[in-house]
Amino acid sequence: MQIPRRSFLRKSLQALGLAATGTSTTKGASAVANPDVCGATPALTPDGRLIQVQGSTATPMLPGLPPGDPKVRSGIAGRKWVMVVDLSRCDGCRKCTESCQQMHQTPVEREWIRVFTMQDAKETAPYFFPKACFHCDNPPCTKVCPVGATFKRQDGIVLIDNERCIGCRFCIAACPYSSRYFNWGRPETPAKLTPAYSPETGFPRRVGTVEKCDFCPEMLSAGKLPHCASACAKGVIYFGDQLEDAVTNGRGETEQLSKMLRERAGYRFMEDLGTEPRAYYLPPRGRMYPAPKATAQH
Amino acid sequence: MDATTTSPAAPTGLEATGLAQRLTTQLERTMAAPGAAGRIWIGSLLAVIAAALLAYVYQLARGLEATGMREYVSWGVYITNFVFFIGISHAGTLISAILRVTNAEWRRSVTRVAEAITVFALMVGAPMVLIDLGRIDRLLNIVVHGRLNSPLLWDVCSVCTYLVGSITFLYVALIPDFALLRAKTTNGQTLGWRWRLYNALSLGYRDTPEQKRYLERAMHAMSVIIIPVAVSVHTVVSWIFGMTLRPGWHSTIFGPYFVVGAIYSGTAALIVAMVVFRKVYHLENLITMRQFRALGALLMALTVVYLYFTLSEYLTVWYGGEAVDRRLLDVLMGPGSYGILWWLTVVGCFFVPALLLVIPVIFPHRVSLSRLVVACILINIGMWLKRYLIVVPTLLTPFIPAEAAGVKLVYEPTWVEWTITAGAFAVFLLLFTLFAKVFPIVSIWETVEGVEQVGAERIGVQVEADPPPPRPAPGGIIPGVATVGGIVLLLSLSVGPSRVMALEATAPAPPAQISVTSGREEGKQVILATVTRAGKPLEGARVVLQVNRTFGNLTLGEDDTLADGTMALAFPADLPGGPEGKLRVIAQIKSPAEYAAVSAQATLDGALKVPPEADPFAPALWAPTAPLGLVITICSLLAIVWTVYAFVIAQLVRIKNSS
Repeated sequence: MQIPRRSFLRKSLQALGLAATGTSTTKGASAVANPDVCGATPALTPDGRLIQVQGSTATPMLPGLPPGDPKVRSGIAGRKWVMVVDLSRCDGCRKCTESCQQMHQTPVEREWIRVFTMQDAKETAPYFFPKACFHCDNPPCTKVCPVGATFKRQDGIVLIDNERCIGCRFCIAACPYSSRYFNWGRPETPAKLTPAYSPETGFPRRVGTVEKCDFCPEMLSAGKLPHCASACAKGVIYFGDQLEDAVTNGRGETEQLSKMLRERAGYRFMEDLGTEPRAYYLPPRGRMYPAPKATAQH
Repeated sequence: MDATTTSPAAPTGLEATGLAQRLTTQLERTMAAPGAAGRIWIGSLLAVIAAALLAYVYQLARGLEATGMREYVSWGVYITNFVFFIGISHAGTLISAILRVTNAEWRRSVTRVAEAITVFALMVGAPMVLIDLGRIDRLLNIVVHGRLNSPLLWDVCSVCTYLVGSITFLYVALIPDFALLRAKTTNGQTLGWRWRLYNALSLGYRDTPEQKRYLERAMHAMSVIIIPVAVSVHTVVSWIFGMTLRPGWHSTIFGPYFVVGAIYSGTAALIVAMVVFRKVYHLENLITMRQFRALGALLMALTVVYLYFTLSEYLTVWYGGEAVDRRLLDVLMGPGSYGILWWLTVVGCFFVPALLLVIPVIFPHRVSLSRLVVACILINIGMWLKRYLIVVPTLLTPFIPAEAAGVKLVYEPTWVEWTITAGAFAVFLLLFTLFAKVFPIVSIWETVEGVEQVGAERIGVQVEADPPPPRPAPGGIIPGVATVGGIVLLLSLSVGPSRVMALEATAPAPPAQISVTSGREEGKQVILATVTRAGKPLEGARVVLQVNRTFGNLTLGEDDTLADGTMALAFPADLPGGPEGKLRVIAQIKSPAEYAAVSAQATLDGALKVPPEADPFAPALWAPTAPLGLVITICSLLAIVWTVYAFVIAQLVRIKNSS
């Protein structure tokens, strides 16, 4: 059978994930050489062959905590994760989306982080608007969950336990930002790729349950940026701990959060809804890339 | 009551009257085994139900992928059916209870059908949510992990309470009829399962004054308590939408709007059912124009109230003209397919029936049953479509338009959804058909009682009373007006919630070294970095100071070292440093180039202390457990209702014990 090159690569990456989750209990992936080094990384394919993957595309899939671990629901004490999106730097390349989809093995149409082309009014400039889950501090989705399958942790993350979710989709209806997705059909998980389920990765996904951007808790625990942030070469997406007052982007630029929001007029999307998002936006002032063509008005 | 005591010594109360005997005989005929037409009818219903079951099995195998629901449009026909059937269920209990409480005499031949509709509509409506579930296998999680914060749990509580209540209500009013049927089947030859069933269900009722008192108490308690329960059910159903922040749903009048809609569609369904039963079972003498005139007038009034609520809801939204509301109205009432559906619904299903219904109100003698039935069927189609138009267009109108990401939103229900929907209607009709085959669909004893008390004419039946009623009639209230008044009253009630720690340089032993400490200059705390080479201070080296953060180092600033090899920057006292106010500071040489990357770290005191969060899971609506006020409210409401239920059950036990 002819395997298209792209899906072949994807499968190899899945194998990397297996190697990381299955063989190594320590953080990081011992089976994978430092992926940041340019060049090739050895990887194991599902049929057992050793291949080489271009280093820049290979990131190990870290294991998350098992569903029963109390830390899954409590989160990390003393942390308040926060995302800042600098709209002036976004050229709508969708690298964030692609990286997220690759790391979370999502179907093509499912974008945990989605790049919208927004225009606030006819006379105002259009702009690209990357939007993940806002992990609201007053989350409308979490309020309405009948079984506590979706929950908010003290580090601010709103997660989903796909082994408790009953699939009523009330949370999807309640989210004003359309951040939630549903596994309508039976998700494809390669037979050899069955790492233990973790709500921190939402993988392997379960049919009939809800999923969404999870701020990559398994990456954060390892002190690494979420995939969307690290994948953005333009440095649009900053991520950090509000209690440290600092955010870092994929280019390794670290800024003081409060200063950034103060000096660059940071705002939260639809603040008036009272959901208190954990994601901030910097207006596209003095933008570095041309504005998009207008599509829909928000 | 023992099965051997077949015949009481002497017939008492009801059984003694010839009228009761005649009515029982008439209704017994309706309960005869179905004829050829009846069998075809039941057979076709069973076929539709079988198809629906197959469709559901297919859906279980494939997942909800089998439906037309997708991203954004995550609810569809199933939720529409749920709201519709729960709405229909109001026909019954609520109308019957209001008519009883307001003592509308013409109710007597209506109540049984009404109460039965409630029970069957609930039995069909409630499972629609279950069919919509992605993981029916985890249904028990609602009990194990149930969160009272969720309006879905409120729904579970109120629908269960309503189901138990309406079954009890239906049953209590059936007891004297069971007694009559028991006596009748004893006299006749139809002994067997029917006799055993009626005997068991009659609880040994003999219409003794004592038993009658208990029965009346139970009936009265049920009629009163079932009204707030019914109102609460549809209010809570509306809150599934109302409690979200979505345009078109987040409305304060959604509770009463849904309740009115429910009574509206329920009354229409009741009229259709009565016309059908009247025709099929030849009950023209019991279900007369008297009932249809009254129900028609009630339905007319409800049409006006429903249109008023609809106007009130959408005019406010349109006039205010918020951006997202305007987008919704564009989908809902604009030139698209939903707009066409909307105007067809409003005109065809609300205005046209209003015209049909207003005719007998203006010309009291021009009551046409066919006109009435057409109006009622149109109203029910309209109410289904209206619920569909409440559910889908809002989901098609997210705050951030999907088109802004190049996603086109469509919802086209699949054959699976339509088959299951058809199955739901078939189950509803089948339950009704079977009910009519086992239970009298007109309340015999209440009709007899009415004829005895106020005469056949006033209760709107055409039967001859045996003895003329000796008792005076109660004060004459115009029943329709009283009923509408009662409903309006109920609705108005329901609207009413440094240690310095210089580390060794990390570079592979270059001649230059750097250290970093905290110090004081001009009374202010500073971070002091000192660069030395071969033990002597190095002047003019460019040093960058950074603070370590989780994902990177935050640059504080840079400066050149002075003659003593030091550089200093103000301490960032406003930067948070964990619970102890400590910062890990990194000093790194930037130039001269040969020393670049030589660095040192130190953990310095004096930063902003971040106290640990007092209670990261303080009571909130999103918290795992519900706020106390909410728990107390829900529990006390449930306790009140269930106490009344217990009282009713106690009356039934007394009836049984006194037989």
